[in-house]
Amino acid sequence: MLKFLPFIWRNLARNRLRTTLTTSAIALAVALVCLLLTMPAGLDAIMSSLASNTRIVVVNKGGLVYPLPYAYLNKIRARPGVVAATSWTWFGGAFDVDRGVTFPNFAIEPDSVGTVWEDWGIAPEQLEAFRKRRDGALVGRTTLQQNGWKIGDRVTLSSTIFPVSLEFQIVGEIPLERAPHFWFQREYLDQALRAKTGTGLDFLGTAWVRVDEADRVELLLSEIDAMFRNSEAETSSETELSYMKNFMGQLEGFVTIILIVTGLVALCLVFIAANTASMSVRERVAEIAVLKAVGFRRRLVFNTLLAEAVLLSMIGGGAGLLTALGLTQALKAAGAGWSPALGPLGSFIITPTIFVQALFLALFVGMLSGWIPAFGASRRSVASALREVF
Amino acid sequence: MIELRDVSRTYKRGADAIRALDHVTLDIDSGRFVALMGPSGSGKSTLLNIVAGLDRPDSGEVVVAGQKLPDMSEDELAAFRARHVGFVFQFFNLIPVLTARGNVELPLLLTHLGKAERRERALTALRIVGLEERAEHHPNELSGGEQQRVAIARAIVSDPEIVVADEPTGDLDAKNAVEILELLRALCTDFGKTVVMVTHDARAEAHVDIIHSLDKGVLADPEMAARA
Amino acid sequence: MLPLRYALGNLIARRTRTALTVGVIALVVLAISLFSGLVSSLRHTLVSTGSADTLVVLRKGSTNDGSSAVPLEAVKALRYFEGVARDSSDQPLASPELVVQPFFRTRQGGRENVLVRGVEPMALQVHRGITIVAGRMFEASRGEAIIGKSVADRYVGAELGSELVFGRSKWKVVGIFESGGSSLESETWVDARELAADSKRPVPYSGLRLRVAAGTDPDALARRIGDDPRWALDAMPETEYYDKQAESASIFYVIAIGLAVLTGIGATFGATNTLYAAVQARRAEIGTLRAIGFSRFSILTSFLIESLALALVGFLIGSVLAVGLGHLVSFLLGGIAFGASTFTTNVVELRVGPFDLAASLVLALSVGIAGGFFPALRAARLRPIEALRRG
Repeated sequence: MLKFLPFIWRNLARNRLRTTLTTSAIALAVALVCLLLTMPAGLDAIMSSLASNTRIVVVNKGGLVYPLPYAYLNKIRARPGVVAATSWTWFGGAFDVDRGVTFPNFAIEPDSVGTVWEDWGIAPEQLEAFRKRRDGALVGRTTLQQNGWKIGDRVTLSSTIFPVSLEFQIVGEIPLERAPHFWFQREYLDQALRAKTGTGLDFLGTAWVRVDEADRVELLLSEIDAMFRNSEAETSSETELSYMKNFMGQLEGFVTIILIVTGLVALCLVFIAANTASMSVRERVAEIAVLKAVGFRRRLVFNTLLAEAVLLSMIGGGAGLLTALGLTQALKAAGAGWSPALGPLGSFIITPTIFVQALFLALFVGMLSGWIPAFGASRRSVASALREVF
Repeated sequence: MIELRDVSRTYKRGADAIRALDHVTLDIDSGRFVALMGPSGSGKSTLLNIVAGLDRPDSGEVVVAGQKLPDMSEDELAAFRARHVGFVFQFFNLIPVLTARGNVELPLLLTHLGKAERRERALTALRIVGLEERAEHHPNELSGGEQQRVAIARAIVSDPEIVVADEPTGDLDAKNAVEILELLRALCTDFGKTVVMVTHDARAEAHVDIIHSLDKGVLADPEMAARA
Repeated sequence: MLPLRYALGNLIARRTRTALTVGVIALVVLAISLFSGLVSSLRHTLVSTGSADTLVVLRKGSTNDGSSAVPLEAVKALRYFEGVARDSSDQPLASPELVVQPFFRTRQGGRENVLVRGVEPMALQVHRGITIVAGRMFEASRGEAIIGKSVADRYVGAELGSELVFGRSKWKVVGIFESGGSSLESETWVDARELAADSKRPVPYSGLRLRVAAGTDPDALARRIGDDPRWALDAMPETEYYDKQAESASIFYVIAIGLAVLTGIGATFGATNTLYAAVQARRAEIGTLRAIGFSRFSILTSFLIESLALALVGFLIGSVLAVGLGHLVSFLLGGIAFGASTFTTNVVELRVGPFDLAASLVLALSVGIAGGFFPALRAARLRPIEALRRG
């Protein structure tokens, strides 16, 4: 087969304009499919890359905006199997009051953060600095980039919930593309509130718990909920994965539309490629007849034509992938990473899965589009083909 | 009707220059049936194209139906062809998606005739070539001879003074070839058309008035054909 | 001019090629009108919510009800601000409100943050266009709730006469309301004091809606409220407030436009290919037409018509499919939930409207013209003697 490659190549080069147009169309469609897939893939990736199977989250059964008493945290910590637990309390801090809250910011306990999120790879010396500085903050990579901040900068956030503004010093980075968080010490907020209003912070938003082993997770979930049943604030505990699924389940309808559109674009691709394959076979009826007349077997004719279609769509697919990679880089550079409206959909990162999916799509399109015309041409009798031409 | 003075035409094919016509001078009178003969590459098709206003000479004068062709623009030539010239080709060149009548009507679309009149004239032209009852058939439903007769109807429907035919019998069997030659003959005799035909077909000698032979772009002395 | 039948006849003659090209355009139209339908449905829901003569009062810096709190004294004082409209019994048209976003269980077993608005009876007069279409308004202190049309049937217990469980209590659904497709229809309304007690909010109100009296400039009143040194408040017309909410949807427009441009270019390439092949296959024919005396212009037009006809047929098929698929998706998914921007769920009904179809018609015709132009130009530029030459 390999020795026919030059022959296949020359056939593609013969109608350069058509080959170029088809390749470009395929490239565009593959690029689009990739970009569209980054959205649902973003959701999956967030779930798998951020979620750990031994991390669970405890929220108020009533909803995320309902707080839990702060005393719960110590009760949870006392359970057997709990390695560490920390709380998140939404600060609702705005860097620029006119623009509102542009990244999620939480008050947390600095001592347990490193253990609860040990899989996030925060540098130990930065964690140490965070523990030591009362006004220290750990900031997600995308949030740093978007605001043009770097470690050592001082920033002030005005809360839209509490009657305080706090000044922070950034001491470390959360080295994940998909975690835009801004974390700071709960104690810092507590003291500021005490100074301003006389009462400290007596509640928490959500509690995050690291469990020692995966087997114990199920049991712990029911234990925690049982512990607080019939109390003033009942809890709903779940694994991080299920929590995120619930949280992002609200985007399901939108993701469905995205997937439908992606499917349509992919189908378009098949049509464009099939059109080209059928045109080029039709125009070469005579040639193919001659090939067969001089003794090329059906199988070989079929393979040659199919290979031509596959080669064409693979080139297009490759170009499309590169385009998509370039575009996602450009989008990232343009700071379209965490749009509030898109939320986790706006991550636009081509994952290895998408990469492979796109290549398979191109291969599949090539096969599908080449199959029928190649089959028809290889089946056609020499005599009938020659008669039609001469 | 047709006057060519000292006409030359050179083509470039790759690096070579091919002299298709070499100082050709030719007069064709109105109402004559003229054959241009000669081997492949002798320039006869070029000569036909120049007479029909499809091609322009490098030098020389061409006056057809009183018009100086070399001075005209592309679009003026198109208008000239529409008004004065009818075409018959070797491969008929009917439009496959139109019926016989639709094909014959085509040249009339370039006139100001109304729909009813176009239809009427197309049918008349088809009657002349003996295919009135096949008017609503598509070309692929007609035999080669029938297709060529539709093409002749198309060539005469707008009543041009000149009909040019490029190998009109080249793709036909003997019987049909003779019928087509007779039909072209009748165009001269009965309707006063000037017919200029490029052909290889020896049978043509029996039907034409004059044969002009070309070789390597040079015109030999005209021969009076057998019937004249 | 060449007859229309010539252009159309050629399309029919080359069935495979025509069908594939029409298919490409139809798919592009389908994809684009669906997506555009989604975006404009979302926008419609958000934008149609506000009215210009109603002010939204929030704490400075808050971008939505959910993250705001307004002190009680401020609420009391603002009701009697000059320029606040009164109803027939001289009560100020002011609606202090408390917004929380508890979990609602969906019928499919998931959960969503639904906006629950604690209000007083006056709210029905201050918010325009609220109609209770089934049941009645809730009565205070009896654990009753009314739900928007989009809430009904989406969540467990969200039907007339059922008990809805959220927050720390159970609520009896006594009424269903509509508001002309606005985002209020994705809300649940209960008595403000009950909701405050249930959610243990230290400050009972998160915001205030004020109807501006006729003859008072809403912006001027908004400025007076904003400039009042006693409280750090912000006031803006409802239209502006919901416009801001809808701004978050503008990224979707960018995506929609990007999608349209990219798929459009792809389809153009496809159409160009088809028509180039058509020109190539019909060289002799074009030569004949030119010989007969048809001008270059009429050849150009005829090929463009062919291309536009492809596009038009593609558009017709694609738009019919889009409208159908839109209905199908709405039917299967109920409504499309959006929760990303404010943490509350807006249920949007996907509807492919005239605007979306018009946009995709423009796209399809552009594909037709752009895809047909170069092949048509090549056809028109063919020199007749070359076109007639075999091989």
